[in-house]
Amino acid sequence: MIGLLQNLVDAANLGSLYALAALGVGLLFGILRLVNFAHGDFISIGAYALIVPSFEVTAQLFIGEWNWALMIPTVTLIVVIVALISDALVFQPLRRASAPTLMIASFAVSYVIQNGILMIYGARPKAANLWSGLDTPILLGELRVPLLQIITIGVTLALMVALTLFLKQTRYGVMMRAAAEDFRMAQYLGVNGNFVIGLAFAISGILATAVSLLYLSQTGTLAPTMGVPLALFAFVATVIGGMGSLLGAVVGGFLVGFIVIMLQAYLPEDLRPFRDAFAFTFVILILLVRPSGIVPTRAFIERV
Amino acid sequence: MLDVNDIHVTYGRLRALKGVSLSVKEGEIVCLIGPNGAGKSTTLASIAGGVTPHRGTISLEGKPLAGVGPEGIARLGVSLVPEGRHVFGALTVAENLRVATYMRKDRSAIAADYDRVLALFPRLQERIGSPGGRLSGGEQQMLVIARALLTKPRLLLVDEPSLGLAPKIVDQVYDILLAARKMEGLTLLINEQSSHRILKHADRIYVIRGGHIQLHDTAANLQDGEAIKRAYFGFGEEAAIDEEDAA
Ligand SMILES: Nc1ncnc2c1ncn2[C@@H]1O[C@H](COP(=O)(O)OP(=O)(O)OP(=O)(O)O)[C@@H](O)[C@H]1O
Ligand SMILES: [Mg+2]
Repeated sequence: MIGLLQNLVDAANLGSLYALAALGVGLLFGILRLVNFAHGDFISIGAYALIVPSFEVTAQLFIGEWNWALMIPTVTLIVVIVALISDALVFQPLRRASAPTLMIASFAVSYVIQNGILMIYGARPKAANLWSGLDTPILLGELRVPLLQIITIGVTLALMVALTLFLKQTRYGVMMRAAAEDFRMAQYLGVNGNFVIGLAFAISGILATAVSLLYLSQTGTLAPTMGVPLALFAFVATVIGGMGSLLGAVVGGFLVGFIVIMLQAYLPEDLRPFRDAFAFTFVILILLVRPSGIVPTRAFIERV
Repeated sequence: MLDVNDIHVTYGRLRALKGVSLSVKEGEIVCLIGPNGAGKSTTLASIAGGVTPHRGTISLEGKPLAGVGPEGIARLGVSLVPEGRHVFGALTVAENLRVATYMRKDRSAIAADYDRVLALFPRLQERIGSPGGRLSGGEQQMLVIARALLTKPRLLLVDEPSLGLAPKIVDQVYDILLAARKMEGLTLLINEQSSHRILKHADRIYVIRGGHIQLHDTAANLQDGEAIKRAYFGFGEEAAIDEEDAA
């Protein structure tokens, strides 16, 4: 029983990271029909921005050493700027391009960022201690939960509430929802298309930074492709959640986290290396039952 | 106010407009009528900046609109109510209306405009909190007209306001358009497939078919409907037009 509870907390923790990444991917897909493969690399940048540029195997924290109240806004700003630059240089000139073209362009952005990291920081993974004081376990009855997991889940919930309030209560949020549903009609009503897309990239960058910090503090390792598996699971989450639905992205993220952790825990020992293959089998099963995802949206189907 | 001069639009290899010219003067009601696929919607979308003609010019009060883009043209006071309504289905009626006001600089006037416009649409007031996607077809048509009015346009472009609506509802839609025109001092350019309702309201009529303007005259001169019928169905001119297309 305690084992199951422990696994559920782990699932919520991993699901939080996937849900945050999936929200960042889903937001851009909603507005731009862009499947942004570079999202994982935005996450990597958030982690690498914390350390001193060098080829050393043990990373030396730089911005990462600052007080969190200064460090978090600084890292966020860096990632947001990278996201906005990739929009301005790559996606803005491709506004009229088809969805597959946009996706391939995002591969290019991803490749450029990864190689940039390779050039500045080297190819070898690095160890880094971010917020190492936070892995003290908290006892909840018999349950031992690392403080970091509680923080991860809490931060995720807080960001989701903040995003919801932003989208429902502010003028920019209403503009974004209108543009996500019918971009051209929003423009006919005077909504500035490039502004709304820039906003989506910025928010996507903020969400990516949150994943960077939480993920790095949990794993303690940096690698030039560290964000790629996170982005991959985020895509899976948005697909099974229902492309274009933010609620779907969150549900999908937690579901994928749940599937992965449960397989990890209950799969027989010798099958465990194939955990991800089993996870994707589940994904295919879900899509066979619900081809347009758990939370299908009309916006996606009706988009001209 | 509006001058469209010899615009050509193609979709891939399909030539939708083959040199359309028309003009609208301040305060007029002008109607563009034509059969399915004639190029009516393409003409309005070109004016609103949603489609880019590869030849010809469009100008508003003498200023060319090329390169301004849909959001810029909206800010210049041209509002399009497109075919098929395009309600934001997941947004409430109130949010649908609010989107239209975000670009406006005269923030202080918005609240009064909102009340005045909504007074024309009692049905929308009742449904102000419902998602746009839940409204009936007639209510959605009302919503998109109200929404366009809240951009405070000088020129309102309306694409087939009667499409898919019961005749009684169409009457209401036209009553509202005419009331709004009086109240807001609007100029109107309306697309319709048939002339029978519009003939009594319009000042001037253009008939479009096959991407060409076939006929243009004042509504007063066209009241008997014969000339419109000939232009609409192309009796006696088919050969001449086909030759021109082939050239
Ligand atoms: N987005 C598009 N892509 C390709 N072809 C298009 C597109 N929009 C319109 N067309 C074609 O261009 C031509 C003109 O279409 P348009 O919609 O302007 O006609 P319309 O007069 O508005 O017709 P309707 O009464 O059916 O609304 C038609 O042959 C149509 O099939
Ligand atoms: Mg049409």
